[in-house]
Amino acid sequence: MREALTLTISAILLAGFYAAMAYGLGLIYGVLRIVNLAHGGIIMAAAYLTWQLFDRFGIDPYLAIPIAVVVFFLVGVGLYLGLVRFLPRGPAGAVQSLLLLFGVWLVIRNIVYLLFTGNDQAIQTAYATSSASILGAHYSVTRILVFLVAVVALIALHLLLTRTYLGKAIRAVAQNPDSCTLAGINIERVYAFTFGLGTALAGLAGVLASTLFAFNPSFGASELLKSFVIIVLGGLGSVLGIASGACVLAFAEVFSIYVVPPYLTTAVGFVLLVVVLVLRPGGLFGQRVLR
Amino acid sequence: MRGARSLRWISVRALIAFAVAVLVLWTAPLVLPLGDYTHNIIGLTFMFMAAALAWNWLGGFVGQISFGHSAMFGVGGFVAARLMLTFGLPSVVGWLVGGLVAGGYALLWGHPTLRLRGPYFSIATIGVGEATRLIATYWSDFTGGSSGLSLPLSSGSTKYQLYWYGLYLLVAAVAISYWLRRSRIGLALLAIKEDVEAAADVGVNATRYQDLVLFLSGTMVGVCGGFYASYQAFIDPQDMFSFDRSISLILMTVIGGIGTVLGPTGGAVVFVIIQEFLLANYSQLYLGLYGILLILIILFEPLGLAGLLLRLRRLTGYRPPADVGAGGLTSTAAGGATEAAVVADRRVP
Repeated sequence: MREALTLTISAILLAGFYAAMAYGLGLIYGVLRIVNLAHGGIIMAAAYLTWQLFDRFGIDPYLAIPIAVVVFFLVGVGLYLGLVRFLPRGPAGAVQSLLLLFGVWLVIRNIVYLLFTGNDQAIQTAYATSSASILGAHYSVTRILVFLVAVVALIALHLLLTRTYLGKAIRAVAQNPDSCTLAGINIERVYAFTFGLGTALAGLAGVLASTLFAFNPSFGASELLKSFVIIVLGGLGSVLGIASGACVLAFAEVFSIYVVPPYLTTAVGFVLLVVVLVLRPGGLFGQRVLR
Repeated sequence: MRGARSLRWISVRALIAFAVAVLVLWTAPLVLPLGDYTHNIIGLTFMFMAAALAWNWLGGFVGQISFGHSAMFGVGGFVAARLMLTFGLPSVVGWLVGGLVAGGYALLWGHPTLRLRGPYFSIATIGVGEATRLIATYWSDFTGGSSGLSLPLSSGSTKYQLYWYGLYLLVAAVAISYWLRRSRIGLALLAIKEDVEAAADVGVNATRYQDLVLFLSGTMVGVCGGFYASYQAFIDPQDMFSFDRSISLILMTVIGGIGTVLGPTGGAVVFVIIQEFLLANYSQLYLGLYGILLILIILFEPLGLAGLLLRLRRLTGYRPPADVGAGGLTSTAAGGATEAAVVADRRVP
């Protein structure tokens, strides 16, 4: 019973990080109908940026968040204006966008590799090893901080999408781009902003990941997969859907230690993905937005 | 006469050209003074050509981009290696059985996932590839774990023979490619690629066709894995099942011309040349170079080398038939409707 409680809290802490990680991918897919295969690469690049800021300038990872968000927002807008904009929209462009963004991912990996070699890196802050107690069990401070940051980010995003003009424009374009042109919304600008925002979220996830895990240039592949699992599980369109998808994945992974050997924990997400895609292609909560 | 009529899709000119090309390649090492290195590399290139063609059956003809073909490459390689090591079977038997096991494995995960389309299928295949790699790495009784397996053969005369086996592999792959593109099946696959639902409406059983293509593709890639095991004489799971291996198949196909009958073979040649001659000295640029190639091709010439060739021939006044580009990335929905109609037409006896 005790153990189950400890695992539950672990799963919730993990779910927060997962939700922040998946939202960027879900946002871009929801609005542009493009799976950003470079998502994992952005997460990895942001982890390296955080590490450099910490290592060279002594900037704490959590203070690096605004820097990373701005940098990767610009990277995202650049990617959109420089590359993604030229792809055909709709299903015809699906294959092309996959291959193109996959190419971007390879380039990012190579650049990072050239700059910092392929060795594992990790960020050692002063508080990295300290822990706090929740309901009698101990959890590392970093994991709690990551959870809090993720929750704040998700709430901010939710407010942005529901309360501001820009957010409403993004949601409108997601529903029906053609009518939006009639209503006088500049679609291209919304697309560029959305791609930037999605990439910035991946950047945020990268900063958070850098405080939790060691990373190298091939880091990010399983993060991309997990993000995809989450948006498939939760369906698109709401912060709540993403959060519940993240919870399902986190719980499945954490509690799988009862059933499978630890090295297969990462495979749990893949199995879950295939099962859900085949049984419930519209997501667990039945929204048939996806096809 | 029915038999002859149902083979009408075979062009006699293509058949003759193919036979001549095979004959030339078959006799080349006997006539030309190729060094050992060149001889072996050409044999390996044949294998890559066959593997890229096999990837293209699924990725190009059906439009289901797989990021997980390394799974079948590895399964084929390790089953073949095990058969040779433990049971002492001749390598050709090992390759064939390994290929069939790989094809069966492909069906095992593919049958449920192939009903997904586009990015959903692609991402599921990343999962399949990664999961297979993890399992293979930890299943050390079978795969030798991270220390891999060494094969006893593949030096001297045996390795010399691999050139011709590679050539046979390539011949089989080209023949299947031609069949899958030009026969009635090819039209069915195009219809599935353009619009699964519309294809189903005109009586194309998408599940059966996709399963068939995936099985063929998995088997061929599995046989290539076995060939590669014999060629290298040493295999380990991290290499055989690596994500980079899946990527390399995609790259060869995209460079050569996705969805074309022969394009991927050209892509494989480019790939091997880059790999052996450029990257031997600059191995740290490996991924970036391929990434940039991928980006440039998608943006400027989605049909790759085949597209460039078409452009050149258009400059000289040649008018390609309307459906040449239909297998590529940018075929239109309207084209799909016509193709589907053609399929429907042909079904009437």
